[in-house]
Amino acid sequence: MKKLFIAAFVLLLAVPTYAQRYITKNGFISFYSSAPLETIEAKNDQVNCALDTQSGFFVVKALMRAFVFEKALMQEHFNEEYVESAKYPNSLFSGKVTNIKDINFYKPGTYQAIIEGKLTIHGITNPVTAKGTFTVANGSIIGEAKFPIKIGDYGISIPAPVVGKIAKTVTITVNVHLNPLK
Amino acid sequence: MKNFKRVLGILFIIGILMATYIWFFVYNKPHRNFEKAKPDLTMSARDCYNSFSENKIHAGGKVLEIYGIPSSIESSDTMVVAVFAFKQGMFGANGIRCTMLADNQQKARGLSTKDTVYIKGFCAGYNGSDVILENCSIINKLKIK
Repeated sequence: MKKLFIAAFVLLLAVPTYAQRYITKNGFISFYSSAPLETIEAKNDQVNCALDTQSGFFVVKALMRAFVFEKALMQEHFNEEYVESAKYPNSLFSGKVTNIKDINFYKPGTYQAIIEGKLTIHGITNPVTAKGTFTVANGSIIGEAKFPIKIGDYGISIPAPVVGKIAKTVTITVNVHLNPLK
Repeated sequence: MKNFKRVLGILFIIGILMATYIWFFVYNKPHRNFEKAKPDLTMSARDCYNSFSENKIHAGGKVLEIYGIPSSIESSDTMVVAVFAFKQGMFGANGIRCTMLADNQQKARGLSTKDTVYIKGFCAGYNGSDVILENCSIINKLKIK
């Protein structure tokens, strides 16, 4: 009987834990580089993202080869020369929504969010802080954020012939439509 | 002097032709047509997932042809994804996710989750939970029964 009570208690704890995790596998990330000679934009709509609405744990994972460029040559250079996708296939952000207590995930609306964590690209990890929003509607959460990164911080060097074509700081845009984990 | 001008003219024309070639076929070369590409590897969806998740193959950047029974078809206004799910993980069901080419979306929406299908696409790699295939096309869903 005692074992039954313990099992029931564990189950009660486990059920809300699952309901707190929101996920997507079709998250969107783009990066935008504006340099004097060229504007470059790449998009990836196969991004994994998970949010734990109680602890604020927030993780985003993207395959580098899934970024699509307008020009095939740019995509080739990006994968082979800059981010070395064969060696470093994934980029990862892992962090927390620091003001999670200010967000009511049960009440529809748009809430400001501050996300702090570590971003790993090209095998190099740096701390990142981003401001964004979470919009709660119809049982889903839409997360949006935009922040700059310096590509030099991630060991990506720009060769002299294309120095005017690639910006030293690129803007990362994240847009994820999260649904409860079933 | 006349010969010099002729050589200069020929060099100029060669230069223009080279610049045109580089502009169209190098700098602005089109993206690869994955629908027409020959697959580098053909295997069952389960073998493909197991090989990636057990780190047995590194086929990122290659064209894969997989076959199996899809678990579900995820569809939105802009995207259709055929999903082969094998395991539960942090981001939900883990497996293979095949994003269909625009002209294959209609056919993919009609895929059954009871029949075997052959799908070919560009393998973007394994993200720790799923093998991602992009620019996918349906080869012949009646190829095996």
